[in-house]
Amino acid sequence: MESKGVSRRNFIKTVGITTALAATGTLPPVLYASERRLVTFPEKTELLLLTSSPPQLETPLKYFRELITPNEALFVRWHLANIPTSVDLDTWRLVVHGNVDKPISLTFKDLKKFEKISYTAVIQCAGNGRSFFEPPVFGGQWLNGAMGNVTWGGVRLKDVLRSAGIKSGSMEVVFKGLDKAVLPTTPGFLKSLQLDKALEDDIIIAYEMNGQSLPMLNGFPVRLVVPGWYATYWVKALSDIEVIDKPSESFWVKTAYRIPDNPCGCVEPGTAPKKSVPINRMTTRSLLINPEDGTRLKSGQVTELMGVAFSGGYSIKEVLVSVDGGVNWRPARLGKDIGRYSWIQWFYPWQPAKPGTYQVMVRATNSIGESQPLDGLWNPSGYLLNKIEKHNLIVI
Amino acid sequence: MKITILLCIGVSLVFTVMAMAGDQGVTIEGAKRSIKLPEAAVSLKEGPGMDTTSRYCRICHSLDYITTQQKFPKARWQGVVTKMIKTYGAPISKENADIIVDYIATNYGIGG
Repeated sequence: MESKGVSRRNFIKTVGITTALAATGTLPPVLYASERRLVTFPEKTELLLLTSSPPQLETPLKYFRELITPNEALFVRWHLANIPTSVDLDTWRLVVHGNVDKPISLTFKDLKKFEKISYTAVIQCAGNGRSFFEPPVFGGQWLNGAMGNVTWGGVRLKDVLRSAGIKSGSMEVVFKGLDKAVLPTTPGFLKSLQLDKALEDDIIIAYEMNGQSLPMLNGFPVRLVVPGWYATYWVKALSDIEVIDKPSESFWVKTAYRIPDNPCGCVEPGTAPKKSVPINRMTTRSLLINPEDGTRLKSGQVTELMGVAFSGGYSIKEVLVSVDGGVNWRPARLGKDIGRYSWIQWFYPWQPAKPGTYQVMVRATNSIGESQPLDGLWNPSGYLLNKIEKHNLIVI
Repeated sequence: MKITILLCIGVSLVFTVMAMAGDQGVTIEGAKRSIKLPEAAVSLKEGPGMDTTSRYCRICHSLDYITTQQKFPKARWQGVVTKMIKTYGAPISKENADIIVDYIATNYGIGG
């Protein structure tokens, strides 16, 4: 049953979780007993618990059968334990200061006066899929549920910045939310973008997710949305924007969330990069969502394989499916294209003739030719994971 | 009289909103929105150093930050504990850091 290219550990882990979820809706007692169980947090449906404080909650894969991820099912990831649990919109302000002509302090109503922009974009944690790294790396051991596809509504960051007036000589824009560290010695969660990036049309300060206000755990009342880039930049509960005329000194940009400075963002497993850069655009990915790994199917019956594919801001041009462990590849039918930042659904009807274990693989390519490696590329922090997934479907 | 009635309607409206939203663990009072987070319920395996590990690590994060990691060798856990002290400013003495590293490596890693 075990196939080449799938380590036994990963195979057991994935199959154990998905089959148990499918069967009972709960996690098995032996696998991940202390690590993974379904929990309910405020404004959230049952999600897989990674850590409770700061909260890190993972979306069960079944939600990715839909084009849009419901607000209550979207993953949660905070860095510092003092997260905002109460926000009064009467007193809440978003301030823009630093190297600007006139610092501003916006109320929620002021913010909503700017032109409203809306689009659908994948939000994905930089470390999504980290638990599949070989050899393993430290950090949140996410499966593939630290992602989602959401319709965001908000105002352009550049409109807000320009209303404060950006002074010449400005280099970066620093973003800070309401979350705070427990200890004064811990670096606050500050993220920054180069000024030219920050002024791009599509970056928004979002106050809506799927037409509703943001759940508190996803950054109520507003969060930054940097479509195409990893969610580490999508600062939650955004409250402070500072324009600076020198590079940011923030630990979370200067030291953390960095990738090897080369085209693959990878190094020899177990080694450190000589030079690194801040993580940025997402790699191209495709996932088989249904049927789940380890599912039993009947021979002769048609099953529609389906999943999602996305890349860092470029449309998906093609999704190929192999049901024989990567020997033959055929194109999947793509669903409706709702924009270059959204994921696209793919469908592939399959009628296995004979019983056996079939290794199913999916590979996406975007409009600029970026695709997925067969074997995982490695980096010390466990970012950018996009190796072609290998799922086993059992035909009886 | 009029004021009392209005007040009653106002109060009952507030309670209605709270009750409805409360099902999802959120409270809304006027423009103020609040949630109550569930308590972290993680217990570590019994063993020498468990109390020290629990006491210090829990200052900044729940203990599932330890229990959900994969099995790493002791040297890697040493690196993590050092990072907690040097990068994140955890107030842990050298002596306690050694106890913590031994405990985690023995119970959640590879090699004591």
